[in-house]
Order: sequence, then structure tokens, then C-alpha cells
Amino acid sequence: GEPMRDPVVSAGKPCNPCLDAAKACNLNETCKRLRSAYNSICSKTTPPQPGSPNQEPCSRKRCQKALRQFFERVPWELSYPLLFCSCPDQACAERRRRTIVPSCSHQERHRPNCLELRRTCRSDVLCRSRLADFHLNCQVTPHTVSGCPHDNHRGCLMSYVGLIGSDVTPNYSDNSPSNITLSLWCSCRGGGPQEEECEAFHRDFTHNSCLRNAILSFGYGSDGGPVP
Amino acid sequence: KRARRPKPCSVRELELTVSELGLGYESDETVLLRYCSGKCTAHRHNYDMTMEHMMRTGFRKKGRKDKVSNGPCCRPTAFEKDFSFLDNNSRYHTIQNVSAKNCGCV
Repeated sequence: GEPMRDPVVSAGKPCNPCLDAAKACNLNETCKRLRSAYNSICSKTTPPQPGSPNQEPCSRKRCQKALRQFFERVPWELSYPLLFCSCPDQACAERRRRTIVPSCSHQERHRPNCLELRRTCRSDVLCRSRLADFHLNCQVTPHTVSGCPHDNHRGCLMSYVGLIGSDVTPNYSDNSPSNITLSLWCSCRGGGPQEEECEAFHRDFTHNSCLRNAILSFGYGSDGGPVP
Repeated sequence: KRARRPKPCSVRELELTVSELGLGYESDETVLLRYCSGKCTAHRHNYDMTMEHMMRTGFRKKGRKDKVSNGPCCRPTAFEKDFSFLDNNSRYHTIQNVSAKNCGCV
């Protein structure tokens, strides 16, 4: 008879959908080239310059540009599984969290106020429109099954990906495999009179059931990619 | 029995994990290794024929003990661009000149 199939372990190795996604990318010429390009730019440390003590450890602008090119030019069938793979364990989730090289693209030496971050984004034409897209397509909607506007998971994922490489680059906040939390690199502490507005803005990332459901359902293969 | 025609020098492909490359990196990421293999018999020049002769008798007659290769080798003439991967300790690495882009008899 057929051997029993374990869903998590095949051929003695634990299944790691994020590793499978990396394999699929490495076997495709365009995906491999553009992934290698952003990885090497984002992981390159900049030598310390005398006289600028608060210098970022990498070339953030170049890294973010390479990330945008990756997500713009690589077909979503290859790029989304790297970012939204479903994970059985922490090693996998850590790989998923590191997809965008967060030490360079997401984190900064200084953690700005979230409204300050939003202001920076709004002063840039592309970032402003991407952020508006995200608020529109990933807005939690109580009267739909998925929690997304028109149950359109794909629209939300596309808008989320659109923010990667912008001033408001979101990412997974830890390597928890199933309890997915996303956030921006900012805080609302000491936000003064606007603290509530600040919290509300950041909650659209940290407590967004539409976005979380969209990621979970992509990882489990129940949803395809973006609508053409 | 007819002699088998030797396969000419060309690029071959093999899927490997980065760990299997033998460069000291531990990563389960899969990479497509392109390498050069095949015969170069059709690419022998007068140089190669002279060297074959010199190896047999020529050098000894002239009092030399030199060793030379007496035929072209199937080798990469160009390498693929940089390749980046995440290792099993969650660090990114970029490696160069691992995979052949083109092969030639040189």
C-alpha cells in the first residue's frame, strides 16, 4: 500500500515552505538575479564615516530601491511565497521575517514617532499613494467573512507589498510561526495630544485582521495571487 | 561496434544545496550549479599537437623537464553574476564565480 504521508515531514526533513519559495526563486533567472541584487545591497555594511556618529549601518535608500525593483519585476508567483509562506516552526518564521533584510530596510537606529513616519511618507508622491492604497484595501471591514473590503484578500496583499521599500516599510515583528504580528518601525510613546491618532495609525498594521487573514490564507494556498 | 561520438564541451546543470557546494557555508537553500563538461578534441590547434610532440620527446632532447597540457580543456569562459542566500543561522551571504555562464575549449 501507499506509505503514510506526514504533512509536516517528508523525506526525513521538516517541511519549510519558505525554503521551498527560495528554491523556486533561485531556479528562475530573473528572480535569482533580483533577489541576489537586493540581498547583497541590503546586507552590505557601510564603513563608519568620521564625524557622523548616527550613521545608518547600510545604504538604506539603495536597499529600498532594490527591494521595490524586486517586487515590481518578479512575478508574484515567485515573490509572494517568499514573504507570505506559512511556517510550522521558528526557523522558518525567522527566514520569513528576514526576507526583506529588515536590519537595513525596516529598522533604523532611531525609532521615530509613527505620525512623524507618516508625515515623511506623505511628503513623497509614491509613498503617499501606496499608503492610501493600503488603507483602502486592507481596512478592517466588519461585515465581510474575511474582514477585508469586498473579501478581496489579494488586493490587500498587493497593497501591503507596495509599501515594501517605502518610508513605511512594514514587517513581521517577531519569528512566531503562527501568531503573525506586523508592524512599522515606529512608536507612539510620548506622542502628546496626538497619541490616540498615532496609536490608531499604527494599529492598522499591528491589529489588522484583514491583513493577517490575507497572509494566512495565502500561506495555506486557499487564495491565489492578485487580480489581474 | 561503432565508436560513441564524444559529447562536446558544454554547460551542464545540477540542483544542489548551498551546503553541498563545499565552500564552507551551511544553508539548505537550493542553487542551480552550472558547470562545464565534455570533450575538446575538435579544438586542437597546431600548438596542442606541438606540445604533445614536445612532451613525448622534444623537451627531453633539449634538456628540459617541463610539463605542459597538450590539449584544450573544457572550462568556464564566463561566470554567472553574484548569488545571495540566507544561511541556516539567518545570515545573508553573497558568493561569486561559482556557476559557469559559458564554457569553451581553452
